[in-house]
Amino acid sequence: MKLLTHNMLTSHVKGVTKGYPLLIKATEVKVNEVEFNPQFVSRMIPKLEWSALIQAADGLGHLQDLPGTVVPEFENNDDFLRKVHRVLLEVEVIEGCLQCPESGREFPISRGVPNMLLNDDES
Amino acid sequence: MDNAVITESYRCVRYFCTTGSGLEPFLVEEVKRKLLAIDVEFIPGRVFFTTDAAMESISQLKSAERLFLLLHRSPPIRAPVNQAKAVSVVQQSIVGDSEVWKGALCTWSRLRARLTDVKTTRKRKREEGQDEEEDKHTETQPSHPRDTQSGVSEPQTDSEQPKTTFRVSCRSSGVVAKRFSPQDLSRLIGSAITKQLNWRADLKEPELEVNVYLSDDHCVVGILLSSHPLAKRSYIKHTGLRSTVAWAMTSVSNMKEGAVIIDPMCGVGTILLEAAQECPNACFFGLDSDVGQLQKAAENVEYAQLTDRVQLLQASAMRIPLPSGSVDVVICDVPFGRKFSCGSSMAAALPEIVEEMERVLRVGGSLVLLLSLQLSTLLKKKILKDALPCPATTAVGSPASDTLLSSETDTCVTHTHSENAKLSDGLTLRPFCSLHTHSIHKVSLGNTDAVIHTYTKTHGH
Repeated sequence: MKLLTHNMLTSHVKGVTKGYPLLIKATEVKVNEVEFNPQFVSRMIPKLEWSALIQAADGLGHLQDLPGTVVPEFENNDDFLRKVHRVLLEVEVIEGCLQCPESGREFPISRGVPNMLLNDDES
Repeated sequence: MDNAVITESYRCVRYFCTTGSGLEPFLVEEVKRKLLAIDVEFIPGRVFFTTDAAMESISQLKSAERLFLLLHRSPPIRAPVNQAKAVSVVQQSIVGDSEVWKGALCTWSRLRARLTDVKTTRKRKREEGQDEEEDKHTETQPSHPRDTQSGVSEPQTDSEQPKTTFRVSCRSSGVVAKRFSPQDLSRLIGSAITKQLNWRADLKEPELEVNVYLSDDHCVVGILLSSHPLAKRSYIKHTGLRSTVAWAMTSVSNMKEGAVIIDPMCGVGTILLEAAQECPNACFFGLDSDVGQLQKAAENVEYAQLTDRVQLLQASAMRIPLPSGSVDVVICDVPFGRKFSCGSSMAAALPEIVEEMERVLRVGGSLVLLLSLQLSTLLKKKILKDALPCPATTAVGSPASDTLLSSETDTCVTHTHSENAKLSDGLTLRPFCSLHTHSIHKVSLGNTDAVIHTYTKTHGH
């Protein structure tokens, strides 16, 4: 699971009003090199919940000294875009789980794919 | 002399492509947009066009099955009652002027050479990045043990100039089909070609394949250019939905750079692969409840080298784990025929699933669904019924929906809600009231038909 995915994931356990952001409990993290596409990263930044990304990256020890807020004119800031690229697309949680901040329900991550399925009584 | 070659290579050529039933309007749109084709016309299953575009671009068409060089297209054949006369009329109308054929052969050889260039470069590119084992599965290496046995296609041994070898493949319907079987037609057209052009028939491994299509309305003769169907994608390892139909769905999805696009029941990920090829700077999520399907999808994504932009999640389409209004495009081949994972049938689950898709869509976002005929009818009724009491459905039009409409008006049937004014009993239910129907296209999946529905979310709840 890339942090780009994590940045969008929400828990929909019954009764939960704010199942976001999910807490990452990783047991295996990999960094895979991915071709840098500055256009793609620039396009994605406005869509991100920045604080959730920083928190997640920090939790995994891959913060890359990214600042607490998006830098102005990031489109032309190659250094910044590369760091965001690293955090968003290269850091990958292979095994572990995601925990709903409100209900505590855990969603397993196996072979890089989070399992967000709920039981009948949870939804 | 070099100049002559250059001039010749940029000359306009008239082609035609075959395509699945219902996909003709998509292909018409595609050749106009990508190849700047002119004189674009279509008949069922075939699209004719003229372009000077490079072979490389033509062979990248996504909604076409096979590509042909057009020899001629003439009025339907009226074969006289007398059998001998009929044979000569058929031969005359198919073969006709041998100069046309000789010219076509030159053009064909030139185009063919380019097509081979395109293929080998692409193959080389792929081999660099992929391990060889994978290539073995997808690359159909032609081995011809039968030919060596029969000795039919031994290299030419005669001292005279090697003859062009050909075979005729014929499809016929209507009156002509009643008079002659396709085999008869192929044989008598073949013998006329041999006689007039001095080409040699070779059923097993001919250099060129002459394609004849005869019906009560049409007579089309062409030479096959692509031996591999264009619809066979070099980047797909496990095939799911027909790639041409998957592409057609992406072409009406109005996806843009920077968009978030999801397929909530992605299966092996065919639609996502087609979409991601088309829109390079967008982000794609594939959801499926079945881990086996996701595994194949993961292999497909890796094979197509799209791991940076296509992410997979195990989740139910009834509970999409994404915030409301966070998605620009929802695109989905809704499975039918088999039991849905929640135990209920898809017909029962569909309203809830569509409601969930509507929830995650942002205002102005598009929803593209591929449905069975039965599910299509069901959803049409449901949406008309629920949408009607809500005045905003027709009053609010986003800029995004307008552009989609204008680009698609000539290719689709646009449905209005007014036609079902009698269905006004659903006043209390309004889950789908923000979905505005854009277009409905019926397409063939080979053994069955399906319908592509396109909606825009016009407002929030």
